[in-house]
Amino acid sequence: MSQSEIQFTFDDKTISALSGQSVGAALLAANQRSLRKTRFNKDKRGIFCGIGVCFDCLVVVDGITNQRACIIEAKPGMKVQTQDGSNA
Amino acid sequence: MKNPDAIVIGAGVVGACTALSLANAGIRVLVIDRGPVASGTTGAGEGNILVSDKEPSPELTLAIRSRDAWFEIDTDIGGGFELEAKGGVVVSRITKGISDLKKLASLQKENGVETIELDASTLQEAEPFISKDVNYGVLYPGDAQCQPMLAAAQIIRAVKKRGGQFIQGENVIKINSNSGSVVGLTTDKNTYSTPIVINATGTWAGEVAKLAGSYLPIMPRRGYILVTSPAPKFINHKVYDADYVANVASGEADLQSSAVIEGTASGTILIGASRERVGFKNDLNIAILRQLARQAISLFPVLTNIQLLRAYRGFRPYAPDHLPVIGEDANVLGLWHAAGHEGAGIGLAPATGELITAQITGNVPFMDPMPFSPKRFKGGEHVAV
Amino acid sequence: MHNVVIVGGGPAGLSAALAAAAAGAPVLLIDSNSRLGGQYWRNSVDELENQNEQHFDLATGLLLINAVKARKEIEVWSEAQIWSATNDEGKNTLRVIHQGKEKIVNTANLILCTGAYDRTLPFPGWDIPGVMTPGGVQSLLKGHGVLAGKQVVVAGTGPFLLPVAAGVIKAGGEVVSLIEANKSRRWVSSFIVILENLSKIKEAFYYIKTISRGKVRAQFGYAVIAAHAADNGELESVDIAKINRNFKVKKVKNIKCDVAAIGWGFTADTSLAGSLGCKQVVAKDESVVVWVDSEQQTNIPGVFAAGEITGIGGSDLSMAEGVIAGIAAAKFVGCKVDISKAHRKRRAKRQRFANALIKAYPIKTGWQLWPNDQTTICRCEEVSLGDLKFSVEELGATDSRTAKLFTRCGMGLCQGRICGRSVVDLVAKELNVLPTDIDRISAVNRPIITPIPLGVLAQGE
Repeated sequence: MSQSEIQFTFDDKTISALSGQSVGAALLAANQRSLRKTRFNKDKRGIFCGIGVCFDCLVVVDGITNQRACIIEAKPGMKVQTQDGSNA
Repeated sequence: MKNPDAIVIGAGVVGACTALSLANAGIRVLVIDRGPVASGTTGAGEGNILVSDKEPSPELTLAIRSRDAWFEIDTDIGGGFELEAKGGVVVSRITKGISDLKKLASLQKENGVETIELDASTLQEAEPFISKDVNYGVLYPGDAQCQPMLAAAQIIRAVKKRGGQFIQGENVIKINSNSGSVVGLTTDKNTYSTPIVINATGTWAGEVAKLAGSYLPIMPRRGYILVTSPAPKFINHKVYDADYVANVASGEADLQSSAVIEGTASGTILIGASRERVGFKNDLNIAILRQLARQAISLFPVLTNIQLLRAYRGFRPYAPDHLPVIGEDANVLGLWHAAGHEGAGIGLAPATGELITAQITGNVPFMDPMPFSPKRFKGGEHVAV
Repeated sequence: MHNVVIVGGGPAGLSAALAAAAAGAPVLLIDSNSRLGGQYWRNSVDELENQNEQHFDLATGLLLINAVKARKEIEVWSEAQIWSATNDEGKNTLRVIHQGKEKIVNTANLILCTGAYDRTLPFPGWDIPGVMTPGGVQSLLKGHGVLAGKQVVVAGTGPFLLPVAAGVIKAGGEVVSLIEANKSRRWVSSFIVILENLSKIKEAFYYIKTISRGKVRAQFGYAVIAAHAADNGELESVDIAKINRNFKVKKVKNIKCDVAAIGWGFTADTSLAGSLGCKQVVAKDESVVVWVDSEQQTNIPGVFAAGEITGIGGSDLSMAEGVIAGIAAAKFVGCKVDISKAHRKRRAKRQRFANALIKAYPIKTGWQLWPNDQTTICRCEEVSLGDLKFSVEELGATDSRTAKLFTRCGMGLCQGRICGRSVVDLVAKELNVLPTDIDRISAVNRPIITPIPLGVLAQGE
């Protein structure tokens, strides 16, 4: 592919993404299927609808919670974290 | 139940509490609502149970008793409505506000309200995310909160278990009387006989009084509440601006708002409270949403990145003198009113039920009910009683 | 000043924009995606041309997208989210978050093309990571070049399952099972409709050819009714059931997979139209759609709607409707144009095909028996079927709205978009009644159309 590769971190791991790719897609490509834990039952959740409707693939991006991994574009140096309930 | 001892019209929190109090006194009670449980003002409330927002007055006496009564009901029926003794923190950032707040708190203290003054550092301890420019507040450990819809539903559920009945989807079209005394009522579907009808229809109480040929001056005041996405526990208490206390007592028509902010058991943050007199107009006022958001952020800057999810509107019932109406009708015997609690209906509901029940059963009420009597209004005039 | 404001950059919105611009009306096209094309022509991060193989009909999409970009009368706002919309005496106000700021758009002339998203049904385990919608799998593949899993089950109902299965195979994945809940013979009654829409049949064969090359045989009359997680909490297998024509379970077997793409047709997103006060109706497939007249105009003069929000019908029907809406809107602002007979005929033909699709792929009520009391219904607020039942049986909820307020079901971040429709059905089932149109319409009513940060809200005027 002609695109440039960029890198961001997910928790402690370094993840590669193509420029323009979503955080969620890059994480799935890196075999990271669980993105958050739910508030009450602490169940794992990942990408479900993939188009920004369901709000299930929530991650913390640069300290801001409730970001949808499936639509937020991966940017170099981004700090992405598993969302635990409503917290970083 | 075609011949109940008493019929409560309205399955909001005031109707539910009144029915529970009557049922507990051994009265066979029927609750009728044109819609489902809590489909009026109760369903659009924050669930405030406050002792902090009232000056020493009969209403404060009512509020103090009611707050305790909520915890007794919680034990009595087995909970299930997210009752939480979270406490309230009232703050002010202006010199005049601070001195007024100090004065109010000391008066409240003399009247049995627990108050704890907070300075800059104890305030930061109580609310670590509060804006650094807030240096003075008063903590009211007595303030509490519940989920009002669940409260009404759980209480109605208990009433049913105690021999009462709830009928929904019937619209009362006439309150029947004979020589000035209630004998029953007629809905769009049925007729019921009863010597006692309690009008707990909140904002619509004036309309219901008319069905008995009587009169009650209750009007709607529109209030908005913003609900955010679930957030970490940024806010420990119910936190509000001292200006709120002034607004509650205000009779001006234009929009007023001052932030009342709190977290809930589900993680969402509630932001109130605006008040405007626009009748039953139900459009979405974006300017109010913005003003509430600005006030909330100014008190808690951490809310900047938290998302607004819903905004709901409710119509708070109020009387010309901003006091609830609790007692027997001025013209029709056996017709009782429990309405007009404005933004305090959830908090004042249990004590309202107790006052009504004590008077109906001929017991001594916990306080003099006269200040709340409907007899203070006559033909549109506000008369002293 | 723009004469015509169009919301949505999919097949309907692009067609409407070109038709209105061609008629001489300047257009503002507001789209929530980063690239034009909608869910149907989802563009890859890679060059579009490389994706040609993935899509039967990409040429049309490229043509429309490039034409829109080339026309100077059309201004495009991408990645723009409308959080609130109101109609006040003929003036429509859209509040748009665009480039980190809120912009206010006032217009008397609006075309709504807000599209649809996959309809999902709840079943035990549908919230396990690895269970996805077909649209999600498709979007990862077409939009981001990522294959969602190695062993994929594609299931549910409707023709959209075919391109998703074909896409997985082309990208090198294995489709371990392709199952369609409805029997294919339902199509026989629609023979004439098939004849007048032969291109659609060609499209189906195009995908079937790819699928059979991957040695996958589609099975009819089956459904995924449960999903199971491995110790790590991620999808390991699904239960596939043979079902009868009412979707009641007959026989169950378990198969291993790492992704299950399960979709039950589509749900129109009518929130924006609802906020403006456009009349909504319940369509034959029980989805809530926007009512329009023969010129695609809603009950509000000057507000038009086209595409999936007026009834699920696929991209061809969306384009036909979009063109008519574009012309009608241009006419509304005084351009000298008219809708031709040919336009109307094209729409009618495609509408007949869409009707046949709805008839061929019904969702039967047997699905309501798949979830058990522990099954999550509202994914956001983690409300189970047992919680919903409690709200009806004990708390006295007698409609879905009250059940929702008691349980918070549908009150989370997705604002009920995922579970709202199912909740209406499940509560009605508990009450032993049929859902009313009012229940269905109130379930899609959301005055805050999309969540907005308080900080952005506070800065607006």
